Amino acid sequence: MNASGAESLLEIDNLHVSVGGQQVLRGLNLAVNAGEVHAIMGPNGSGKSTLAHVLAGRPGYEITQGSVRYQGSDLLALPAEARARAGLFLGFQYPVEIPGVNNAYLLKTALNAQRRQRGLPDIDAFDFLALVRERMKLMQIEESFLARGVNEGFSGGEKKRNEILQMLILEPRLALLDETDSGLDIDALKVVARGVNSLRSPERAVVLVTHYQRLLDHVVPDFVHVLARGRVVRSGDRSLALELEKRGYDWVQEQAVA
Amino acid sequence: MSIQQRALQEFQRQPAATADTAAAVQLLGQLGLPQPRDEHWRNANLRAFEQVTHFLPPGASAALPALPAPLPGFQRAVFIDGRRAPQLSDAGALALLSNPAWPAPADNDGHRDDQRFALLNALFGNDAAQLDLAQDVAMEVLFIASGAAGSVYPRLAVTLAPGVRARLVERHLGATTADGFICAQTRIELQRGAHLDHYRLQDCNVATLWMDTLLAQVGEQAHYDVRLLGIGAATARCSAEVRLSGAKAALSWRSMAALDGRQVNDTLLRVTHAAPGTRTSQLFRGIAEGRARIGFDADVRVTAQAPGTRISQSLRGLIEGAESGINLRPRLTIHTDDIQASHGATTGQLDENLLFYLLSRGLDVATARALLKWAFLGDVLSAVDIPELRQQAETAAAGHLADRVLAGVLA
Repeated sequence: MNASGAESLLEIDNLHVSVGGQQVLRGLNLAVNAGEVHAIMGPNGSGKSTLAHVLAGRPGYEITQGSVRYQGSDLLALPAEARARAGLFLGFQYPVEIPGVNNAYLLKTALNAQRRQRGLPDIDAFDFLALVRERMKLMQIEESFLARGVNEGFSGGEKKRNEILQMLILEPRLALLDETDSGLDIDALKVVARGVNSLRSPERAVVLVTHYQRLLDHVVPDFVHVLARGRVVRSGDRSLALELEKRGYDWVQEQAVA
Repeated sequence: MSIQQRALQEFQRQPAATADTAAAVQLLGQLGLPQPRDEHWRNANLRAFEQVTHFLPPGASAALPALPAPLPGFQRAVFIDGRRAPQLSDAGALALLSNPAWPAPADNDGHRDDQRFALLNALFGNDAAQLDLAQDVAMEVLFIASGAAGSVYPRLAVTLAPGVRARLVERHLGATTADGFICAQTRIELQRGAHLDHYRLQDCNVATLWMDTLLAQVGEQAHYDVRLLGIGAATARCSAEVRLSGAKAALSWRSMAALDGRQVNDTLLRVTHAAPGTRTSQLFRGIAEGRARIGFDADVRVTAQAPGTRISQSLRGLIEGAESGINLRPRLTIHTDDIQASHGATTGQLDENLLFYLLSRGLDVATARALLKWAFLGDVLSAVDIPELRQQAETAAAGHLADRVLAGVLA
């Protein structure tokens, strides 16, 4: 618990990250409590996606300084799969296609990996099917997709909905959604937002990485942060996103330089 | 003494020569046996062949290994050490078989150099499994090497009459002694409008040397659909020659190799398009773990008599062992202007982006890697539409993949 009484899920302190010798994150600080939805906005190249991937444990990033604690433990010490099993979920901006790997098999294997982590038995086949059917209905995904290869031949919108479906099956404690709204038409955006909102609860938190504020019309954040040159340069409530929509990012970046 | 001389010396110890064997002896004298430096045999590990000292077939079979369960709906014929085993075969299958003389391959396209192991088969083989089919049928031919001392010479010849559709499962299982080898030959002739689904599984003991020659003639509007699953044997070589001789004849070739340790699997697939409107699609997937080596040489020739030909080649290799190697060679030789061809050959390692995606869903590294390997082989395995055979192939392949065994993962 932190001073406000909410459970602290994520604490990022002075995080510095470089990729290929180039510094991308330069002293990033962020605290996310259970029950909160945070939006991280910023111009291209500000480090938004780097932050999401570093938190999820993608190889290739060098942490040069700082720390990240997740549920009180050192997140950076864990490999990617352990982070996922501990309840951290990354929704990809560009979900990969894996032809040949059955969608249902991946969902079930991933769910059981998490259940074992929690000391629970593997899910019963009928219970799994019932769960998947219910969540697929919410995400307006046809049942035939279960038998197809992961994201194979899916449209951009279908891939994003499939990401949210995975999230709804895995029920993470902390969801990092990396530009989940990009490439979605308004109807698909509403479906994705409905899925994200259905996950909101006092025990969970969501971090939305986004370029535009239109997603935030449907998933209303508690906090909005602006990232520029690898740091959070401004934080506020939803009104900050609306201001960014009107004024663009230049003024925030100028303040960051100043 | 060269290996060729040793082979001929052993041949002299057999009963009197026939006209066919005399012709094979003469050809062997002219052509010699392949050498490791020969262009088309560089990847075939002929050093292993040079260790063979016992060319004659076993006098008597050793104790039989367990046979795989019968395939539902298929008539079964069993050959042990190259000899027909009536007691293990279905009566219906035996009724379809004949055992004719077995001459050396005819020199259709001047590629006899690639078929020299067929000469040894012509010299030393015993019974042939000849199927002249005039009606639709599903057949399984099991070639078992019992492990008795000597070499084994499976012979299979299939002719489909016009319009006949057949499914043929050809499995090579078992082992020879270290001084012997398996030298198989298969001949296919598809007459006008015939269609053969040919499933070939090689899962011999990992100490065995398996040399195979496949010759196919595909007639007008006939379709030859091959799935070759190369999993067992210390060294396996398939020399395949497919001639699309009739207009609109088609070949669909899908093969895979999944190897570990020091296994070697090498394929030379030559396809000749000799008539208008002919089609070839080739797909190969190979995974080399440990110090295994895989070669796939796809040589497609389109003659001036074959306008309107369509060709697609997709050859992919996955290098999983630090000391493993894969050599893929797609080649097209074209003598007509009217052709559509696409080809690609890539060799690499598992895609890190795909791996991270699976890890980010909580899968452990071994499971994620195994999933991706199955997905890699999926293009070939999913074409094995006989569930029992596919299961056997998946189980056998899993034994050669370093990561955890998974079943039922393929979409």
